[in-house]
Amino acid sequence: MDWFWPEGFYAVLMLAAFAVGVFKLKLPVAIAMCGSAVIGALSAGFGLHPARLVGQLVEGMFGYIDTILIIATAMIFMNVVQSIGLMESVAAWIIRRFRKSPFMLSCGVMFLIMLPGMLTGSSTACCLTTGALVAPVLIKLGVPGKKTAAFIAMGAVLGMIAPPINIPVMIIGGGIDMPYVGFTLPLLIATVPLALLVIALLALPSLKKKGAVDEAELETELKRMESVPLTARLFLPFVVLIVLMVGEQTLGMPLQFLVSSASAFLTGRRWNVLESATNAVKDAIPVLGILMGVGMFVQIMTLSGVRGFIVVSALAIPSWLLYLSIATTIPAFGAISSFGAASVLGVPFILALLSRDQIITASGLALIAGLGDLVPPTALAGIFAAQVAGEKNYFAVLRHCAVPSIAIAVWGIALIALANPLSSILR
Amino acid sequence: MDLNFKGNKTTACLLLGAALVICAISGREFMANAGFDDLVPAAGFERKMLSDYFDGLRGSRMDTPVFVQNGAKSGGSVLILGGTHPNEPSGYVSATLFLENARVVKGRLFVIPFANASGFTNTLPQEASPSRIHITRSDGSARSFRYGSRDTSPIDMWPTPDIYIHKSSGQELAGNESKNLNRAYPGDPNGTPVERLAYGIMELLRGEKITLAFDLHEASPEYPVVEAIVAHERSMELAAATAMELIGQEIDMRLEPSPKNLHGLSHREWGDYTDTLPILMETANPSQGRLRGRTDETLALTGLDKAYAKAAALGRLFVPYGPDGKPLSQRVARHVASISAFLEMLSLFDEENGVTVENVPGYEDIIQKGVGSYLGGIGRSN
Repeated sequence: MDWFWPEGFYAVLMLAAFAVGVFKLKLPVAIAMCGSAVIGALSAGFGLHPARLVGQLVEGMFGYIDTILIIATAMIFMNVVQSIGLMESVAAWIIRRFRKSPFMLSCGVMFLIMLPGMLTGSSTACCLTTGALVAPVLIKLGVPGKKTAAFIAMGAVLGMIAPPINIPVMIIGGGIDMPYVGFTLPLLIATVPLALLVIALLALPSLKKKGAVDEAELETELKRMESVPLTARLFLPFVVLIVLMVGEQTLGMPLQFLVSSASAFLTGRRWNVLESATNAVKDAIPVLGILMGVGMFVQIMTLSGVRGFIVVSALAIPSWLLYLSIATTIPAFGAISSFGAASVLGVPFILALLSRDQIITASGLALIAGLGDLVPPTALAGIFAAQVAGEKNYFAVLRHCAVPSIAIAVWGIALIALANPLSSILR
Repeated sequence: MDLNFKGNKTTACLLLGAALVICAISGREFMANAGFDDLVPAAGFERKMLSDYFDGLRGSRMDTPVFVQNGAKSGGSVLILGGTHPNEPSGYVSATLFLENARVVKGRLFVIPFANASGFTNTLPQEASPSRIHITRSDGSARSFRYGSRDTSPIDMWPTPDIYIHKSSGQELAGNESKNLNRAYPGDPNGTPVERLAYGIMELLRGEKITLAFDLHEASPEYPVVEAIVAHERSMELAAATAMELIGQEIDMRLEPSPKNLHGLSHREWGDYTDTLPILMETANPSQGRLRGRTDETLALTGLDKAYAKAAALGRLFVPYGPDGKPLSQRVARHVASISAFLEMLSLFDEENGVTVENVPGYEDIIQKGVGSYLGGIGRSN
């Protein structure tokens, strides 16, 4: 009881306030999170200085300022490349070129989805760029919308973990002064088999199904999609984006997305800046609000000691349950932020596993941390994959992610458990 | 019950007004940490600025005061750098203690209390750090110090790249490390603000021919390199002798070699790019740890935390953690006693370049009387 009181009580109170806000009062998730943060702060005695409390809540929100700007500008970018006709034109080309070989098609599509995450470390970038590009392709070829969204979400999570760039590993490494060197092979081992599994589970069965597509209807649809000819120039916004992301480190992703969007004036169909920006921000607002609410929630968890209570409770689990604790608490904390989970839980866990090969252990922990992007309420990969696939209910999409997600957790734990033998094989 | 309702122009105006009020309140809180904390240098110290060594810092928020005291006898020179990470208070409070007490007999003593001045003006989001700590003096008055952020403020460095590539080595680190002074050495005169700051410190080390330089830090108790001395290979002999001397005083400071493949850190780059003997020291600070419970000024001052007590019982810490916690006085005493021992060993190893400093309290003095007893009065509590 000494351990539970009062931080455990604050944790329960904050979660209960959130649940009442969302389910009973039907408040938006963002408002409910903000309300539960305020209730947590007041109950922990931080209401005596209202100005300081306001300062703490605002500071918490600023933890996601970069993410918020990236999401808002990436949404504008995606809206623009759709408006100029690029997405439909590319989708039509891929369907014509590869529809006779489903395995090659699904491998190529999976690589395309993963690529932005491999280069930027962000699952959101995967969903909103190449994810949006391939979503219509898969749907046209008979993959149901929900499965398409799940395929993109899983590809996005694996993309953020695959080398060369893995931010959770960098965060974990930063916590123990481990340089980001020697991770390419372990991260490929962590991601490639899972990518093949996701292909086998979510894409191949539908792509192989004979008679699932009405050929005449598909041909009419393909002709409509090809109304903007697929020329090299049509790719200009993507080319600009890739060049900026790979070669330019000072602009930052938000400005990179905006500059790339502006380059779309030089190609494709005409588009309206105000309309694209308004539509994009309107689509993004609920997620941006959730991130702000989560920021306040985390700040008050830290302030009141709830964060420490959760972390040390996770570490207090008996050693035979340590793996289970890793496989559950890291994704659960990822509901707030996968990068946050890598920092708050990934570092203590790797310290608890110092006797194992640190590179492979960190790769396993990072893989599990990536799952956080599929856990509500943030579930960035799930939400955006659902959005680009035109699915309203992202929870239905997440149901299709359940089996591959369990596989990710199991594979991550296997990497950690077998870190030392694997390390001796890889050397 | 459904509290949702359709908005209109009036609700939009009300929301905008509320947002403006919140901006004004939080902006005022944020601005309260601008500027420098008051200092009371001991007699003989001359105040310069780091921009006197590298003009590229002049007029910027990265410029910071450098205090110098010359002894009557010629000898070597020592730099004490505090505040590389402004969320590690024992570093800058120890530097301040030297600044406010030291009497240099031989050689020269340089003190930079607030190395990353920019990092003192903000706290890291979602870390819920206190914005100030108050240290009680023996007369009951209080000295106040800002508790800042590990990183340079986003006001000075934003946006952060996804990946930070350390220029001279090509080493890749998480993007937030681009704002960390202790990943920026040897710096770049034309680089980012923190790279220019690092370059300014390197210029001081080279220009003043600093014999021995300390970078004072704190680490969380669950971090393997804590209550430790990290030494470059050129400083290792001196550091080993000092660690032995400290054991004789019943102060356990683990000795760690500076990893050769970890770049940008003071203990590596100061040694590789200058003639100085670099030493980085870490004390254990629960208020910056990932396992900490309630986060407030009391935790920063006492280091007393039931979450850390439980973690210690679970065997998760790399330092002993008793019922007294890790009080700031003890952490400062550890730094101060270690520096004193280093100075003693330097004089033994290299008499010509030795530096003798008097009037610095010992380990037991600081613990028994409290660090506040060795800080000057500033006539008011801020």
